[in-house]
Amino acid sequence: MHSRFYLSLLLISSLVLMMFIGMGVYREMTSEWKTYQTEYKNMLVRNAEDDAARKRAEKLEIGLRQNYVASLNKSDRCMSCHIGVENPYMAKADQPFTLHSGDYIENHPVDKFGCTICHYGQGRATNKKEAHGKGHTHWDYPIIPTKYIQSACAKCHDYKMLQEEGAELVVKGEKLFREKGCRGCHKLNGVGGDLGKALDGIGSKPRAYYAMKHVVGEHTAYNWIKQHFDDPRAIVPTSEMRVFMEEDESDLLTTYIFSIREEEMPSKYRFLKNIVTPPRDGESLYKMFCVACHGSGKISVYDEIFDRTIPAITNPPFLRSADNKTIKNIVMEGRGGTQMTSWKTTASGLKEEDVDKIVEYVASSRTYERPEPFNYLEFQTNIDSGMRLYNNRCSYCHGKEGKGGNRQLGINLKNSTVQQVLDPEFLALTIRDGREGTPMPSFGGDGLGLSDQNIADVVAYVKTFGKKK
Amino acid sequence: MHQKQRKGFFVLSLLSLPILLIMTVMLTGAENAYGGNANGEEIYKINCAVCHGVKGDSKGEVCYNTNVEKSGKEITTYSRDFTLGVFKFRTTATGCLPDENDLKRIISTGIPKSFMPSFNDISPEEKMALIEYVESFSERWEEEDPCDVITTYMPNWVGKSYSVEKGKKIYQDMKCWECHGDKGDGAGPKADKLKDDWGHKMVPFDFTSGALKRGTAPEDIYITFTTGLDGTGMPSYEDTLGEDDRWHLVSYTLKLMGR
Repeated sequence: MHSRFYLSLLLISSLVLMMFIGMGVYREMTSEWKTYQTEYKNMLVRNAEDDAARKRAEKLEIGLRQNYVASLNKSDRCMSCHIGVENPYMAKADQPFTLHSGDYIENHPVDKFGCTICHYGQGRATNKKEAHGKGHTHWDYPIIPTKYIQSACAKCHDYKMLQEEGAELVVKGEKLFREKGCRGCHKLNGVGGDLGKALDGIGSKPRAYYAMKHVVGEHTAYNWIKQHFDDPRAIVPTSEMRVFMEEDESDLLTTYIFSIREEEMPSKYRFLKNIVTPPRDGESLYKMFCVACHGSGKISVYDEIFDRTIPAITNPPFLRSADNKTIKNIVMEGRGGTQMTSWKTTASGLKEEDVDKIVEYVASSRTYERPEPFNYLEFQTNIDSGMRLYNNRCSYCHGKEGKGGNRQLGINLKNSTVQQVLDPEFLALTIRDGREGTPMPSFGGDGLGLSDQNIADVVAYVKTFGKKK
Repeated sequence: MHQKQRKGFFVLSLLSLPILLIMTVMLTGAENAYGGNANGEEIYKINCAVCHGVKGDSKGEVCYNTNVEKSGKEITTYSRDFTLGVFKFRTTATGCLPDENDLKRIISTGIPKSFMPSFNDISPEEKMALIEYVESFSERWEEEDPCDVITTYMPNWVGKSYSVEKGKKIYQDMKCWECHGDKGDGAGPKADKLKDDWGHKMVPFDFTSGALKRGTAPEDIYITFTTGLDGTGMPSYEDTLGEDDRWHLVSYTLKLMGR
């Protein structure tokens, strides 16, 4: 009885084992790459021009092909399916047999470069799903969509060569990156603002780095970045990113983003001849660090993302009352409690000389002479009267507490910059003369009829916001 | 005896404390910038003239503000010019002057999305005085008789799916999409060329963006369809659509707003 039970158990388990072995053998015999290679071989035999060629084709060995590049530490088996990638006769063949596009392969032979160094994906895999790493396989670096492939060129080449030799997309992307003011919020190489995440090595971050919850389609870093450019808040609902793209700009920037990588290529692969340093004049620096929020700086706008007013900084009325020293102070200190972060070297990594250049650029729009001095220090101020005036005339825009924002047009007055850094004289001038072109009216004599004494009182009251009560 | 006297003093001082407090509050309350008298002109000059202009012609020191929506769309809002006597947010038929309560409501709640703040700390008498002063800017207020106020009762089927479907059809038939766009995002084919009676560029409302200027209650949307927004391209549908149809349209626009 017992022996019979065990005997049948043994029989069944060996049958199951045989079945598995059989399945394994079947899978090996009919693997994707084998099918493709047989098809490829048949194609060669069929299209052979003469007997010698046919004989050569018939001798083609069917087997897994692996390309190992020691200096890059890459072993790629892509040619097991993409077998015609170096065969010029395959120019018009369909995938996976087709010849590599362009003249790229002439200068980048497969045996020296491999495939995944540019295309990513899982080089050692032997079927399409795992090799391309798309969909929900657990491979961190899936194959890169062709429209972003130029990001890989920038690993070895300088931008001048990329521009001249047909990789202009990544060049355009890099230019956009500078001109859209990305570094106003994102640090790169230690230089930039604080609002967003640092972008060092962003292109080689693993999939887990990204919150994929809201990404439409395949959950890849490429889709995350691209869709994030198209609508930041669709991907990160709390995002304060203030970037508005036109047409293909999001694709160009995505291409550039994936060229910012942690890994460095071995020096013999790098082909840097004409390293062009991007311009560092005032205008370029302004674009790089300020333009994302301030735009041209000509008009002040109320921004729904920040929920506060972004002041105009290059309009002449502002520059009239603000001298270069005041502007520099504001830039260096930032404005606490708002999105304007400090641009001191210790905080932003920006050199002081660069800040000077930006200030000079901003001030270059100054058209008026300095206004008549207000001589704030000559007034005997009355804080109580200032408070009454402030509550009646200023609080509708700046808020009773002076914080502004939250659908109030006024800027934040309750921060250390206004309280400690800015000269009362500057505040008094602003109240007296107003800021034409912005919602800040002129409260002085001809405007809304506050006397100089009134203005001095208000300034004195505003300066108490910083004090603990 | 001595102790009793002390106790009496204590009680007296305790009693007088609240009285003193009330008196101070009353005194400080009266001591505001308008001197306690409801003087419309004075209140106007202090609170309103900065945007609406001393003459009510919207040529104040601040006559417009630019707002950037989350999508990047820039909308410039201009302060109302009172000299034409044309108002958008009424509960009276199109072409009519607004009811006094309409103006009172705007002063009290402000206009979300534009930058008209709420002036809740102005007393009711002062508000009436202020409205009277605002009415002096246009002759219409003297020449025309007041219109009846339109009352609204929301049917209970508003927002139901069949009502949304009907509203969608009306949205198509009445060509709402020409300005407001197929998806209600304000990007219709005619959207770019619109100007209002005051000569400013008009931006058709983007339903996907949320807050309406008049208010977001279904009744507010219904009243907009009924009265139109005078001075802008938004007409009144009081004569062209039946009451039910207007409510169906409300259902559909609520859907567009994701509510």
